Amino acid sequence: MFAAIRRWAGRPTAPQEGERPQIDLWRLHALFNNFKRILTLNNAVLEEMAKMERALGGEYIFDRAFLESSVSTIANRVHHVAYSLNALTANRHVPLYDRYQEIRTLLDDILANNVHALADEAVLPLDAIGWEHEPLVGMDLVCLAELRNHPGIAPVDGFVVTAEGLRALAGNVPPSSGARADDGQRAGETRAALTDHLRNLTKRCAGAALTATLTLVGEDEQPLREIGCCRIDVDGERREALIATLRSEVPLVPANSRIVLADDRQSSGNAVQEPEAGAVVALLAHALEQIAHAAAIHATDQSGLANLCLFVCPQPEALLKGTIHTRVGSNDALAATDGLVVDAGPAAGAAGDTYLLRRTHPFSLLQSRIAPRPNGHRFADQRRASDAAGDQPHLSRGSALLAPGLLQALAKTAMLLERLFGAPLDIHWQLWADGACRIVRLRPLAIAAGAESAPAAGRPPEAVILCQGGQSGQAGVGAGPVVHVNEATDPETFPPGAVAVARTASPDLTPILHRAAALVTEFGSAAGHLATVARELRLPAIFGLPTALALLPPGTEVTVDGGEATVYAGAVAELLRYGAQPMDLTPQDREYRMLRRLLRFIQPLNLVNPEAPDFSAEGCRTFHDIIHFCHEMAVDELAHFQERRHELGALCIRPLALGLPMDIRLLDIGGGIQPQAAPNPLPEQIGSLPLAAFLRGLLAPQAWDTAAPSLGMRDILAGMPRSVGLLAAPADTLGANLAIIGAEYLNLSLRMGYHFSVIDAYLGEDSSRNFVYFRFAGGFADQERRNRRARFIARVLAAMEFKTTIKGDLVTARLKLADAAILQEALVALGALTASTRQQDTNMRSEADIEDRFADFAATFLTAFRQPHPAARAGGGDEAR
Amino acid sequence: MTTATDGAAAPLRILILDDEPIVCKRLKPAFQKMGHEVETFTDSNAALARLREARFDVVVTDLKMEGADGMQILNGAKDSAADTQVIVITGFATLETAKESYRKGAFDFIAKPFKLRDILDCVKRIEDKRRGLPTEAER
Repeated sequence: MFAAIRRWAGRPTAPQEGERPQIDLWRLHALFNNFKRILTLNNAVLEEMAKMERALGGEYIFDRAFLESSVSTIANRVHHVAYSLNALTANRHVPLYDRYQEIRTLLDDILANNVHALADEAVLPLDAIGWEHEPLVGMDLVCLAELRNHPGIAPVDGFVVTAEGLRALAGNVPPSSGARADDGQRAGETRAALTDHLRNLTKRCAGAALTATLTLVGEDEQPLREIGCCRIDVDGERREALIATLRSEVPLVPANSRIVLADDRQSSGNAVQEPEAGAVVALLAHALEQIAHAAAIHATDQSGLANLCLFVCPQPEALLKGTIHTRVGSNDALAATDGLVVDAGPAAGAAGDTYLLRRTHPFSLLQSRIAPRPNGHRFADQRRASDAAGDQPHLSRGSALLAPGLLQALAKTAMLLERLFGAPLDIHWQLWADGACRIVRLRPLAIAAGAESAPAAGRPPEAVILCQGGQSGQAGVGAGPVVHVNEATDPETFPPGAVAVARTASPDLTPILHRAAALVTEFGSAAGHLATVARELRLPAIFGLPTALALLPPGTEVTVDGGEATVYAGAVAELLRYGAQPMDLTPQDREYRMLRRLLRFIQPLNLVNPEAPDFSAEGCRTFHDIIHFCHEMAVDELAHFQERRHELGALCIRPLALGLPMDIRLLDIGGGIQPQAAPNPLPEQIGSLPLAAFLRGLLAPQAWDTAAPSLGMRDILAGMPRSVGLLAAPADTLGANLAIIGAEYLNLSLRMGYHFSVIDAYLGEDSSRNFVYFRFAGGFADQERRNRRARFIARVLAAMEFKTTIKGDLVTARLKLADAAILQEALVALGALTASTRQQDTNMRSEADIEDRFADFAATFLTAFRQPHPAARAGGGDEAR
Repeated sequence: MTTATDGAAAPLRILILDDEPIVCKRLKPAFQKMGHEVETFTDSNAALARLREARFDVVVTDLKMEGADGMQILNGAKDSAADTQVIVITGFATLETAKESYRKGAFDFIAKPFKLRDILDCVKRIEDKRRGLPTEAER
C-alpha cells in the first residue's frame, strides 16, 4: 500500500511541484490501511462465524476445543476491528471497547458453563421465551414457546419462575435451607413480578386451577429432568388454596397442603363478599412460594449449581386430553413400523381412541382404534352416544373423538416440535371448554432399547434422486409437495408441511420457513441469513442447488435430505423414519447447546439500519453488531473523507481515460488497476471487479442515447444555488470524481452535471459479505422534477431488489446477500443509470414519465432481473422470479 | 450414498478414539451405516489395551489426549498389525504434526472440525485399497 502511494507521488504525470501541497503519505497510508484491515478482518470474522453456524447445522464433526478456539479467534479479530476503526476515525468510537469486553465476558461464562450470567430474569412469561433462555428454562419450554410462531396447535399460556426467581423467593426461609440473607430487595421484585404474572393469568383463565412443574435444566447427559409437579386449587370464597402433589421425586409439599389467607375484609370495611381477585392471586403466590422453598432445599441438597425452574400454567377442566408419541413405541397399541400415535380420551378417564398417522404432510390417518362410548356419553359436538341408532350403531357409540382436521393439526404440531427438540417426543395436549386445543407439556419419548442406537438404513436402491448438490444448510430429512415461492409469496398461502423451493435465498422468505417441511434454493449460500433461520428452526435446507425450480415442479412429492444435499422423488420412508439420524447433531448434545448459546452473542445482527437512533457502539449486542457497525462507520468515513479530511484533498492520482466528458481519478488501494496499465489507465485495464462492471454500464452507448434535456428558465434559476454551491467547493474536487479501488472494492464519489452520487461496493469471494451501496442526490431542475427523477431511480433500484429509501431527491439504497453475478449486473445497471440520468430530471415533466423511462431502461439494462408479473406480486403466485 | 454392503465387501473393523464423547457418538453410527463394525473409546489407555488384544482394520484417533497421545496410538496400532490404517483427527493441526503422522505411517490426517463426508470418503478409500480397487486419485 505504502509503496503504491509512493508510486503515485513519483509518477511521471504528477503535477509540477508547487502546484499542490505535499501529500501526507503516512496519514494516507494509515487511513487506507485501517480501512483495508477492517474489511479483511470483517471477512475473516464472518468466515469463522459461518463455520460455527454451519457446525450448528450438523455439517461438521467438532468438539469443545473447536468452540473454545473459535471464540478466541473471533474475539481477537473483533477487538482488532474496533481498534482499527478507532484508528481510522481518530478515536470517535471508544465505547466499542466496553461492548466488546461485555460480550467477551458472556462468551467466556458460557464456555465455563456459567449460564447464570446469561440472564437474570426472575419470572418469564412463556411468550417471551426464546432460545437464549434455554439454559434457564430448558428446551421443552423453548420449543413450547416457539409454537406461537407457527400455524397449528397453540401452546398453553403460562410463565416460568427461573432459578434466579426461585432463589429470590426462597430468600425468607431459614438460613439452614441455603437461601441467601441479603436478597430482600430481589425477593420483593420477584414477588411483585410473580403477582403481576399471576394476575394476568387468572384474568385470562378465571377460576382455573394451576399446575406448577419443577424441572432441573442443564445436566450434561440428561438436559431435562422433572423433579415434581403440583396442582394448586384455590377456593376464593373460603380464601384457601390446596396444593396437591401430582408426581414428585422429592417431597415438594406435604400431602394435600392447605394455605389459608387471613380474612381482612371486615377490618378494611369492604363489604364485597365475592371472591376477590387479589385474594386468589395472593393465595396462588403463597402456594408457589411454598414450592420455591422446597425447590431451594432440594437444590441445596443436590448441588449448589442445580438449575431449577418452575413452569406455571392454568389447568381448567378439559373436555378431551391425550398424548402424541412422535414415534411408535413398544407400548403403543398400534404397532406399525412407522408413524406417530395420537391418544385421545375424555378427561373423566373413560376409554379413549388411538390413531396412527403419517409423520409427513399431509399427515394422513393410517389406522385407528375407536373405543365404544358408554350409552349417554356426550361428544364434543354435544351429540350423545346412544344404542338406539337403528341399523348403524357404529355411527353413534363408535364415533371418533377427534375430527380429521384436528388430528392433522396435532400431528403437524408434534412433528414440528420433534424437529425443534431433536428427539422423539411424548407430547401432552388438551381440548378446553373454550373449544381450543393446546399443547400443555412435552418431554423426551423413551424409545425401546436398541431401536434408538440403531443407525437408519441407507437410501433404498429404488429411491430416485431428482437433484443433488449445493450446500447443506441444515441436516435432517423433510418431505412434502413442492411449492415454488419468492419474496412476493404470501406466507399465509403456503401450505404447512410443504417443501419450499425458491430461486434466491431472500430473507423475505423467513415467514415461509415457519410453515415449511424443508427448503431448497437455487442461489444463496449456507452462510446467508436464510440459512441461519433454517438452522434456528432446524429445518432441513439446501442452498445453491442449480436449476432446482426446473427439476422440482410444483406439486411434486419429494423428500429432502438436508445433510446429504439431495432431493429424492416421493416420500422415502427409510429416510423419514428417523427425524434425526444418530450421527446428527441435535439439541440433545451438550456441544449443540453450548454452540447455540455462544452464537446468540456472536451471530445475530441487530443493528441493521444505519439511520436508526440505536445504530451506535452502545447499541451493539453481538460481535456481528460490532463488526457491522465498524464496517458501516469505516465506509461512511471513506465516503465523506474528502469533506472530513481536507488535508487529503490534494491527492495526486491517476486519471481514467474514459473517452467521455467525465473526469474520474483512480486511487488504487491494491489490485484495482492492472500492473501493465498506462499512466492514464483505460477502462479495460481496470482490475477492480466492481469498477469494471460499473464502467460497462457507464460506457454503454444506449445509456447515453437519450433525448437532449430541455432546460427552461425555471430550471436554470432552480439550479443556481446548487451550482453556486458546487463552485464554492475546493478547486481540486470540482469536476473530479474520485474512485478508491481495490481488486474487490469500489468507492466512487461522482459528480455529473449537478447531481452527486456515491457508489460503494465490495465483490469478494465470500458472497455473504458482498454488497452494493448507492446514494444519489441533486439535480438542476425544480424540486418536483428532481423528486420525480429520484422516484424513477428508486423504481430502477427496487427492480434490482435494492433496499431503497427516498427522502425528497435523496435516494439511498443497499443490496446485499445476493449472488455475485447479480451484484455485478446491478453495478452495470448503476453505471448505465448514472449516464442516462445525468440531466434527466429536466425531462421529468409528469408522473407518467417515471414509468415510461423505467420501461425503456428496464428493457435494455434490467434483463438480468426478471420482473415478476404484477399478479404474482399481488397474489403470491407460485412462479419464481 | 453408498453402503458398505455394495459389492459384498467384508465389513471393516474400526476403532474410534477421542476423549470428546461427541466425536465418538457421531462417528460410530455413521460408520455403522456403511456396514462396518465399530468400537469407541474415550480413554486412550483403554484403547491401547484393546489394540493389543484385537486386530482392527482402521483406527481413527484424536491426537492430543490425556494418557497415551495419538502418536502412541498410531505406533501401537502399527505394532499390533502393520496393515491397520490409522486416520489421525485433531483440533490442533500443524504442518509438523501432520508430517510426523504421515512419517509414522498414518493413512490420513484430518483437522477438526471436519465434514462427516470427508472421513467417510477416507474410510471408503481404505476399503477400496483393501479390495484392490483403484482409488479416486488413481481413477
